[in-house]
Amino acid sequence: MTAAPDVRLTMPARAEGVAVVRQALAGMADALAFDATVLADMKMAVSEACTNVVVHAYEEADGVLEVDMLADEVALTIQVRDHGSGVRPHATRSYEGAALGLGLPLIAALTDAFELRGASGRGTEVQMTFNYARDGDPAEENPVEGSIGDDGRWDPGATRETPAG
Amino acid sequence: MRVRAAARTGIVAPHMDANPIVLDDAAGDVVVVVVEGEHDIYTAPTLRERLDEAIGRGGGIVVDLTGATFVDSSVLGALLDARRRALEARQGFVVCVGEAVEPGVQRILDITGLVPVLPVINGREAAIEAARTNGNGARG
Repeated sequence: MTAAPDVRLTMPARAEGVAVVRQALAGMADALAFDATVLADMKMAVSEACTNVVVHAYEEADGVLEVDMLADEVALTIQVRDHGSGVRPHATRSYEGAALGLGLPLIAALTDAFELRGASGRGTEVQMTFNYARDGDPAEENPVEGSIGDDGRWDPGATRETPAG
Repeated sequence: MRVRAAARTGIVAPHMDANPIVLDDAAGDVVVVVVEGEHDIYTAPTLRERLDEAIGRGGGIVVDLTGATFVDSSVLGALLDARRRALEARQGFVVCVGEAVEPGVQRILDITGLVPVLPVINGREAAIEAARTNGNGARG
């Protein structure tokens, strides 16, 4: 396993920054010789965590998005952090229509371990761990439940359609 | 290592040209929204605009993700909204992918179970054919 430095990205919490985080993640995963399928899961989970910061963390536009990437012997841990007002369920005005409500279920399904920390007024941190060697598919252990609801948001209790044919 | 990306002025916006979303109306009564590259919360508003334009033309809609390398839940949200409006207007709506689908596209479709919902089928020609018919009372 190639050693990789710990990385901290600090940038404005804006939509255009999420692709930059994915690029940095791809470089980190390359240095650590991650499998392409795990990299795809990492990009998806980290994008969803960053999107939550962009959409939910700040009332004003000037908030900060922080991403730490910490490699140890067995896994890469990624922390996505904001210094906003805590978890706010509703999207800010500029991203209305953006929130499907699928971000956290996707993160849970795509990570080998996942922790959400936060308190009102103290910001939120999502910590995601990706093992270098996976025992199985985390999406089978923590499947995304439900389907799209009548209101256009994700409904964890909705029954899925079965594939035709 | 610490990277600080121009916190005051904002980071440079990625070039939309690398991640195009264009309408192809060569099929006549079905318009194809061709989505290439990486798409997320940043490009989702552009996708919504293109989908609005496609629905506004009144015929069937195909969203071709063959050239897409990454889509997140913001993109799924845009697709699901467009599908709902298209079906309410009795316009066909189909998403298509190619033979080889990028993991950054296949994975989210698989684990959300949205393949039969959107629906997602293989090949643009088959999708155009399906979009000609699935708006005619195919709701539900």
